[in-house]
Amino acid sequence: MHDPEYRAAYERAAREVAQTDAVIRQLDLLRVDLGISKAELARRVNRNASSVRRLFTAGQVRPELPLIVALADALGAELRIVPRTAEAQRATYEPGRQRRVAATGLALAD
Amino acid sequence: MPPRQRCQRRPRDPSGRDGGGQLPWAVIYYRAPDQTVPALEFLDGCPGTIDAQFTAVLDAVAAAPPPRFSGGGKWEAMHGRMGGWYEIRLTGPGREQFRLFCLLENGTGDELARRGLPRPAVAVITGMRKSWRTVFSERDYQRVQELGREHQRNHPRRIAI
Repeated sequence: MHDPEYRAAYERAAREVAQTDAVIRQLDLLRVDLGISKAELARRVNRNASSVRRLFTAGQVRPELPLIVALADALGAELRIVPRTAEAQRATYEPGRQRRVAATGLALAD
Repeated sequence: MPPRQRCQRRPRDPSGRDGGGQLPWAVIYYRAPDQTVPALEFLDGCPGTIDAQFTAVLDAVAAAPPPRFSGGGKWEAMHGRMGGWYEIRLTGPGREQFRLFCLLENGTGDELARRGLPRPAVAVITGMRKSWRTVFSERDYQRVQELGREHQRNHPRRIAI
């Protein structure tokens, strides 16, 4: 990984993968902590059990945000966007357009 | 195309345990009888950002292998005639579709030893790419399966790391 462009692409992809994985796993941990079966959770969000089971075992690609939000809500939790660091905020701040982009971490709060 | 320096991949032998207390798996690449490594050749032909994304997904899956959710939604168990296979699905420039086909090497210690593997591994067999809204042919999938069967016939496995 001597190529800076390759390294940057790898690190960006790794962050994105880690965030998605963390959210799904945290949902599953919360489900287990609450003693709710996958089938019951599926029923609460009006999905079939297999879709929820596939979600938690990587049997399904690209989990949809509306489903994630619905599952979090059914577990008494919610998704939040959390700025990673002040430095990251500065790096992604576009002063001319008064707009901030990305550089966020997803967190589940219950 | 000369091999890219970026293809000096990260060492795939992390020694730390992940959050679940499970040892990370290895990532290995199938080596064909002619000594070529189809998956690495495929990755070398991909745009650099796609190559990097494939590597990041593989590292994540190896760190937290199935049945845990891993790979950021880009790692998927295949079904039907490709049952038993896993694929990494990425979209590149112009919505070009990139796929990397993998098998899991898991089993008892004795079985893994017979395969020449010190621990479970994600075996990366080969990859394919296609334009958006097109499909791979049956022949394409047969070719992937033939490589997988050839890989699994070898004891010990013939691999690149």
